[in-house]
Amino acid sequence: MNTTISDKELLDAFPDTLIDHDNKEFYRGWLQHRLLLNRCVDCGHWHHPPGPMCPECWSRNVQPTEVSGTGRIYLLTKLHQGPPAPDVDYGQPHPVATVELSEQEGLRFTSTMINCALDRLVVGMPVRLNWIERWRAPYPVFEPAPRETE
Amino acid sequence: MARNPIKDSIAFVGVGSTGFFRDAHARSRLDLALEASVKAIQDAGLTKQDIDGVVGTAPQAHLIAASLGLPEVTHHSNQPMPLVFAVTDAINAVYSGAADAILIFHALYRAPAISRAAARDPFRRGLGFGGSPAPAKTRLDPERLSAEGYAAWASRYFYEYGAGREVLGRIAINERTNALQNPLAAMRTPLTMEDYLSARMVRDPLCLLDMDVPVDGADAFVVTTAERARDLPQKPVLIHAATNGLTAHNAEESTDGLHHHGQHVVIKSLREKSDIWIPDVDVYFPYDGFTIITLQWIENTGWCKPGEGQDFIEDNWDEASNRILIDGRIPVNTHGGNHSEGGTQGSGHIREAILQLRGTAGERQVRDARTAFLTPGGMFFNAQGLVLRTD
Repeated sequence: MNTTISDKELLDAFPDTLIDHDNKEFYRGWLQHRLLLNRCVDCGHWHHPPGPMCPECWSRNVQPTEVSGTGRIYLLTKLHQGPPAPDVDYGQPHPVATVELSEQEGLRFTSTMINCALDRLVVGMPVRLNWIERWRAPYPVFEPAPRETE
Repeated sequence: MARNPIKDSIAFVGVGSTGFFRDAHARSRLDLALEASVKAIQDAGLTKQDIDGVVGTAPQAHLIAASLGLPEVTHHSNQPMPLVFAVTDAINAVYSGAADAILIFHALYRAPAISRAAARDPFRRGLGFGGSPAPAKTRLDPERLSAEGYAAWASRYFYEYGAGREVLGRIAINERTNALQNPLAAMRTPLTMEDYLSARMVRDPLCLLDMDVPVDGADAFVVTTAERARDLPQKPVLIHAATNGLTAHNAEESTDGLHHHGQHVVIKSLREKSDIWIPDVDVYFPYDGFTIITLQWIENTGWCKPGEGQDFIEDNWDEASNRILIDGRIPVNTHGGNHSEGGTQGSGHIREAILQLRGTAGERQVRDARTAFLTPGGMFFNAQGLVLRTD
């Protein structure tokens, strides 16, 4: 499915990321703006971060599978200081949201929130996936879901 | 029913500490670890010939053994933090006969990344967390949840239970009040709620005073059989029950919820192993790397129901002494904990519990203390429990 991006292109795109056989499709998906999380073909269970085996049924038949990217904020913090990143200056608190994805209870993905005033951010807020550029590669983030999808 | 054949079979017989400090001393981590180790072995009335096991966090156990010149060692290992991982390994080794008298050590060393004073020390260049060599440069996004996970879960707690920050402030104040009487503590000026509420926000909703304080220092302990302990100079402190707790979903972002994480596994296990239970304990040591951890331990241990921690702390607040006194009797983290003695990853809690049960805790001494209940560690992959007693 991701044959258009070679291993070399993938490794060149993420020079400081430890990419291995378990997470290579996850990061390859970023380059195509697709959030691919591992799903068990045999029992349907999702897990993240990507591992070689389904922790539910021990099947090795796991498939990186695109998620809808919709969900609700489950955990939230706003960092007043933290690791440097080109799009983050901590001049105002940097939001970090763990989103419970709609695919499965407990399936969560953590990133920042864009297109949202800080004081609007709350646990429980419906969100959807979007993408920014960071360190010259796509990076998955969340933004408030349009009202009609709430 | 969880088995506990080791119950009361192994004893803490020696304890040593450097004390904890935030100012830059021109000393290495190894230097601190050795000072505490020598003190602990001497406190136990033993010599280097008697110590045949070494277990600790960092530096490497074999380096400690070599630096102490221990002639023959039959059990040595390094364990992660907090310290109950090391304690569990050491007592199991004594119980099995792998070794007879084991040194347990733990050294803290501020890294340049978390301390301005440490960053000014040219001999700390290249050091990462705890003073170990920093890992090779890898991508680090601000959104990875590591220690930040506790701030994220604090907001979840507020969302589910509607508590305010003041409850966390009370936990910080309790620690500081206790530290005022601890000569080993790094933070020894009184703390008020105004101080807490105006402290610099670091990871909203957690501020600087919700977090443990980076320090230099070391603690060390000696354990041996309860039988041999009777012939040694110190009053033996028996390990009644020890456990660690982990769930299948133990990463920060994927932890099941406030209703099910490592702490729940610990408490279930301890409950089955220990004959001593709340409120029959005399001194109580819930972990406090972040204030939200303490609030969670208090609730999950069963002192009150989930979400009632705020009321519980207010109801058990002793205005006269400006600290928590459960049922007017049981103090909490009498040494000042990770917030005010210093971030010791549990070694301070264990040392203080031993001193309290020996009856040598000075101004902090709880009268006739015979049982101590400790729950070191956080919520995700390092929740731990330890029940200590004396005869």
